[in-house]
Amino acid sequence: MTFRKYKDLILGSVMLVISGLYLYFAQQIKTRPKIIPSYSNARIFPTILGILLLAMSILLIIQGIRKAKSFDASKGDTGDQVSKEDYLVVVLTLGVILLYVLLMVPLGFNLSTMLYLFVQFMILAPKGKRKPIQFAVIAIAFSLVCFFVFRVGLSQMLPRGIIESLLGY
Amino acid sequence: MSTWQLIANGFAMVLTPVGLLLQVVGVAVGIVFGALPGLSATMAVALFLPVTYSMTPSNAMTLLMALFIGAISGGLISAILLRIPGTPSSVATTFDGHPMVKKGQAAKALGVGIVFSFLGTIFSTILLMFIAPEIARVAIAFGPAEFFSIAIFSLTMIATLSSGNMVKGIIAGLVGFMFSTVGTDTIEGTQRFTFGLTNLKGGFDMLGVMVGLFAVGEIIAAAETAHHKQQSEITVPNMKGIKGFGFTVKEFVGQRWNALRSALIGFGIGVLPGIGGGTSNMLAYTVAKTADKNPERFGTGCIDGLVAPETANNATIGGALVPLLTLGIPGDTTTAMLLGALTLHGLTPGPLLFQNQADVVYGIFAAMLICSFIMLAMEFYGLRVFVKMLAIPKYILLPCIFVLCALGAYQLKNNISQVLACLLFGLVGYGFKKFSIPSTPFILGFILGPLAEVNYRRGMMVTNGSFTPFLTSPISAVFLAIAVLVIVIYATKPLREKRKAAKGN
Repeated sequence: MTFRKYKDLILGSVMLVISGLYLYFAQQIKTRPKIIPSYSNARIFPTILGILLLAMSILLIIQGIRKAKSFDASKGDTGDQVSKEDYLVVVLTLGVILLYVLLMVPLGFNLSTMLYLFVQFMILAPKGKRKPIQFAVIAIAFSLVCFFVFRVGLSQMLPRGIIESLLGY
Repeated sequence: MSTWQLIANGFAMVLTPVGLLLQVVGVAVGIVFGALPGLSATMAVALFLPVTYSMTPSNAMTLLMALFIGAISGGLISAILLRIPGTPSSVATTFDGHPMVKKGQAAKALGVGIVFSFLGTIFSTILLMFIAPEIARVAIAFGPAEFFSIAIFSLTMIATLSSGNMVKGIIAGLVGFMFSTVGTDTIEGTQRFTFGLTNLKGGFDMLGVMVGLFAVGEIIAAAETAHHKQQSEITVPNMKGIKGFGFTVKEFVGQRWNALRSALIGFGIGVLPGIGGGTSNMLAYTVAKTADKNPERFGTGCIDGLVAPETANNATIGGALVPLLTLGIPGDTTTAMLLGALTLHGLTPGPLLFQNQADVVYGIFAAMLICSFIMLAMEFYGLRVFVKMLAIPKYILLPCIFVLCALGAYQLKNNISQVLACLLFGLVGYGFKKFSIPSTPFILGFILGPLAEVNYRRGMMVTNGSFTPFLTSPISAVFLAIAVLVIVIYATKPLREKRKAAKGN
């Protein structure tokens, strides 16, 4: 509820901070005044962009304050309410995705993909629809199909691990 | 070489066994992506880019065009049968398409939708074939001033038109532009925002950014509703034993003006940057309804209300390719992906493409025409298969799509850094969704930003720091003037509305 009320205000403030940081680092860009004249150096666009974003975030903050004042919780669509359990699914999903990406090189493409898919299926599937054996079969099959299409069919490089060595690639 | 010779060459290029196979596969996969709600044409093209890495440019573009055409058309299947638009391009299709199903005319609704999708694609491709080379001929004389102004014009249009909130649209465009400034500056050669990281020296890869924003962001967002109720059962209409395409010749002839008008609307919207199939189908529907003598028929299941959006959304494809091929300016996210594909295969879209790689350009045109026929046959006779695909649960589908994203990102540079970047942009995409920021201006800011910057700085160097040539070149001046006008109109809109309200009181 409170998030919907202060959405624009929060966003505007975040953007204000970002524009400040961006402008600061834009002034740190090294230029070569002897070769490139100041009207077309590497700093000019970042500076303009930073100033524009600063202006826009201030506008958004003003809009956000107005919106928060006239906010009516009963109005607007309540259909997209996200519960705490739903956010848990999001956080878990982010976690396994990150793990997958980090483990892809050490474990090789196939092993990491199979593990990722299986765990991710289990997280996303609603209770009562979780079928570990079916999920495992799909995970293994999908990973191998991808591997053969890309590695063998299209001769692309993929991270190697135990399974890849066993398969002889 | 004459135009007809070029067209014949184009057909010869894509009518090879491999070319045909790619088109059949591309259209089929495209239809699936279009039909499945949550997957889009942009995602289809993004996911299949890695598959094209080792192909010839012509084969690669053939496959991607097939995906594009299939995906825009495939949205009608779920729009009609489930009343859920498969892609934003088929929102208006649900208005009259689903009521027809309720009246027991499912087969007719699908037949009408498929045939007019086909006609929309063919019509816009033919227009594209004759308009694009002419524009390219004019654009060959464009210098930095013209390109700068066109880029600024496109950015303004996108930021203002693609969202309800102009401030948020502009913020999205600016942030996209900012991400494009990371890396080694192309003119001065100095480092910008790289913070000493070697991986950032080359900047963010366009494909990684787009796959992250559109595919990964979508997956994270879908995790929110994963445990909610799954979609309802679908009844598959029996397409066997139907004469022709399920509608009469009389009905077909009765739609000719509606179809022509909608096709022109679709094509025009496609040419303009920032507004794509998502807008054209709604606009065509509204225009058809307003122009009709009995507008109350609309929404109850009349074929006019189905012909308009389906013709228009497919006609948008041809329109969107005009600025992409002739100027290298993508008008929406799918054409932005195509721009990435062209660049990846060493082709620079722009006026020179028509001179140096006319074979690839005409190959694209030929592929579009052939794909339309493949789409027509496949959607009509293969409907059952596509409807079955709609039953695949999201919790199986989305993780598999993420694996494909990761694969594609990995293969960009053969290391994990791109996959991490892809993940970062996935988070950005999810954040955008939460704060209702449109992602199209972000992508186009990211792509068009460098075009504006480089051309501005080059132009200023040529003129020794004078901005005058940007205003004295007629083409440049017109585009800048429109950009300013659009901003003024949008910025003063609340003021004007207030004044109107005050008068009313």
